Amino acid sequence: MSAQVILIAAFAGAVLSYLLGLFSARGRGLFPIAVSALLLCLVAGLYGQSGEQVYYRDFLGLDLVLRTDALAWLFAVTVALVGCLSVVFSFHYVRGKEKANFYYFALLLVNAAMLGIVFSGDLLSFFIFWEVMSWGAYLLISYNKGRALYAGLKFIVMSIVGSCAMLVGLLSLYAAHDTLVISRLAEGIGSSSPGLLLGVLIAFGIGFGIKSAMVPLHTWLPDAHSEAPSPFSAVLSGVLIKMGVYGFVLVMYALVGLKLLLGVRGAWVSFNSVLCWLGAVTILVPTFIAVLQTDAKRLLAWSSVGQIGYIILGIGFATSLGLTGALFHTINHAVFKALLFLAVGAVEYRTGGVRDLNELGGLIQRMPVTFACALVGGLGLIGVPLSSGFVSKWLIYKTLIAEGRPFLALAALVGTWGAILYVYKLLHNMFLGQLPQKYAELDAAPFSMRLPLTVCALFIILFGILPGIPLKAIGSIVESVGLAPVSATLAGFGPEVGPLNMLNICAAAVVAVVVIALLLRAAAAPRRVAQDDSYAAGAYVPAGKYHHTVRFYDPLERMTARHLRDRVDEFYTWGAGRAQGVFDGLRRIYTGDVRNYVMYIVGLLAFLVFVQMVWRVW
Amino acid sequence: MVSDIIQFVLSPLIALVTGVFLLGLSRKIIARIHRRYGPPIYQPVIDVLRLMTQRSVSHGAVFELGVVFALAGSFVTVLFIPLGGTELAGEAHPFAHGVLCPLSSAGGLLVVMYLMLYGPLGIALAAGESANPNASIGVSRKLLLALAYEVPFLLVILAVMSHYETISITEIVARQQESGWGVLSVPLSAAAAFLILPAMLGIRPFDVASAPQEIASGPLAEYGGTYLGLLAVQKALHLFVVIALFTDLFLGGGVNLATFLLKVMAVFVVAELISAVLPRVRIETAVKFCWKWPAALACLQMVVTTLSK
Repeated sequence: MSAQVILIAAFAGAVLSYLLGLFSARGRGLFPIAVSALLLCLVAGLYGQSGEQVYYRDFLGLDLVLRTDALAWLFAVTVALVGCLSVVFSFHYVRGKEKANFYYFALLLVNAAMLGIVFSGDLLSFFIFWEVMSWGAYLLISYNKGRALYAGLKFIVMSIVGSCAMLVGLLSLYAAHDTLVISRLAEGIGSSSPGLLLGVLIAFGIGFGIKSAMVPLHTWLPDAHSEAPSPFSAVLSGVLIKMGVYGFVLVMYALVGLKLLLGVRGAWVSFNSVLCWLGAVTILVPTFIAVLQTDAKRLLAWSSVGQIGYIILGIGFATSLGLTGALFHTINHAVFKALLFLAVGAVEYRTGGVRDLNELGGLIQRMPVTFACALVGGLGLIGVPLSSGFVSKWLIYKTLIAEGRPFLALAALVGTWGAILYVYKLLHNMFLGQLPQKYAELDAAPFSMRLPLTVCALFIILFGILPGIPLKAIGSIVESVGLAPVSATLAGFGPEVGPLNMLNICAAAVVAVVVIALLLRAAAAPRRVAQDDSYAAGAYVPAGKYHHTVRFYDPLERMTARHLRDRVDEFYTWGAGRAQGVFDGLRRIYTGDVRNYVMYIVGLLAFLVFVQMVWRVW
Repeated sequence: MVSDIIQFVLSPLIALVTGVFLLGLSRKIIARIHRRYGPPIYQPVIDVLRLMTQRSVSHGAVFELGVVFALAGSFVTVLFIPLGGTELAGEAHPFAHGVLCPLSSAGGLLVVMYLMLYGPLGIALAAGESANPNASIGVSRKLLLALAYEVPFLLVILAVMSHYETISITEIVARQQESGWGVLSVPLSAAAAFLILPAMLGIRPFDVASAPQEIASGPLAEYGGTYLGLLAVQKALHLFVVIALFTDLFLGGGVNLATFLLKVMAVFVVAELISAVLPRVRIETAVKFCWKWPAALACLQMVVTTLSK
């Protein structure tokens, strides 16, 4: 099964689901599920294959190539998995909404385009699929109208800036090497001057940095992630921003290659170390901005920016440990962030669109499965041992310590403690505490929503206890870019990497839990009481209005809120405002009066005559 | 194999007994400072046994499971901490035995740091379910305080790991036994760690999370009976883990269990004597303090360590 068939199936599936949806309301929901499940199976079947295939000869003098290898497979399977889960989740989420047809079309189109990106073997196809993805995402982000229109506009404007930067990099590569096929570029790139390499890396870096929301190019993300429909937020945060990560890995490791990459440096600073420090800032500032948020999805959006920082940090070091950690964290983040966005989506669906963290509470009583899955996702995000996030973060910390960069390590570790604060705030304000009266009769999330949540949660636990499974696939990527793969066992690492054995930790935890459970069994069973039957020093406890949420971390907020304004966003918005003023001024030359236009023509002619008479140009 | 199993059973038991003993000791010390006689030193044992026989109330599944989660996490953490013993051969140390650390091959300092999260997280989740705002305020303070002391603590840990160039605790202990205690080779880190010790233990002046007179013991407000008993055990274990970690990182562990426990007790008594005479501070003051002096000291040590490499 080749990549070509998969891409045809993916794009055809998007178009067909639109057409089918016009005739049958039932098929509208089910057909996309079938398509995305089929894609997942097809992509998974590509495991271990590698090869290149020309699918279009001589397009403007260029060959368009599709490529399958370990790197493409890992990202493709993540895209297909998260895409499939989000389509399943959408079944109830968009049922009965207007333009559901259009929604499915755009969602499948974005997924297909992302598969196209990872399977592209030349930079032109890469760029084309990249644009399809950006525009598809734009349509979906602005699906909800209202504030979503602004978010979509912000996203597409920044995407276009990034695409322009990429185009510059792409054209300068083409001018220098006369081909855009990645494997041929990789062979020939050794002859390029360091200046060209640095220029190309920066140009692509801007494009990928915008898509992966690296500070200071992140400002589209908080708006877009919070305003998009929740299943698409999962795709956005889970895999779409990872396309930027994929781009970084592709250009830095597969295209430019390690030897050259480490040589790209200015007088006293190298490309890598700049990337690392940007990564550290990307972890720290957004994490503490996330703590201040009161909108559940906006909180998660800022947390996505923070987590991308870990991945950038891992990629930036160009060591096998760092790259392994970064790639592992990429898939982990895809899974647990998709899970968290879907969980918030399920709550939003049941409560009629409420995502304000100050209005919810106690939902664990009504939606226990959603809570349990969100808890697992949250623990994965923090990186608690026995969740997959722990192993990937451990690899990244280990890299930072082994490379002798304790201050970067401090940024990464403090980011984790920030993550504890916002994850607990999210879980507590939504699911714990008192249940408001108006939600007392809420239904649990429908099965089509619980299923994707459960699948994600199982992945987090499985990869947390047996990290060797994903690390095997990642090992072959690391090997393919010319680094020695990290020697991982099924349950962790041997003493040469640093002792870690998750299976032993798991066994110890299970024994401890069993012992405590036996002890509890012997004790008297607790008496279940109502939520308003609580200790208030003799005062009357009002039911459902006794939930501490507003300004949950008040002392911290008072200390940090002043310093945590998103100044980058303010700067861009200011720039956009000024540009609008300038263009508005320019617009005024179109007065609509013919006499003015005649005057412009006469003026231009007079200018040309003047030029000719003075300098004799022609 | 048999010795492994003995270690797996012994290590948590030692931690439990010592932790509970330290709790009793602390009540006795505070009483003597108040010029009272104080309860007997085994009072915590009586308390826990009594609580275990009493029926408790429950606000839901997480209210119960969170406690189990926290306690299990603390037990697992103990297995990663060397409780005395040495690999050095023995003429100089006739009573030395092998290192008592059952899971040293499964993870190092990074794992311990993260396993120590299970305690606060489990209690936070459990207290959250109790639907009592006093508990929620307590949790909010507890997590903030954790963020506050974690900044200097991480600096301390990173400086120690950079100094000894390893992330394994057993190796750090072994290196100290060869070439002098950490308190001499990374003195500022040791001072910083000692300053944040009361915050890590949640004792005065940093007992803001449980503050009984203000917020009705915070996270524990709704607990009674069996589950309060388990939480007391968890507190004892946490106490032991923190002090044992300090002993291992800065006081060279111990060549055998007895010297190790003596050092643990000495550290605890000194910390308790200082903290017992201080009044409780506000949470803002606690955060500012942690981010000022201990962080500055730890940061200075890290710069020195990095530069001297």
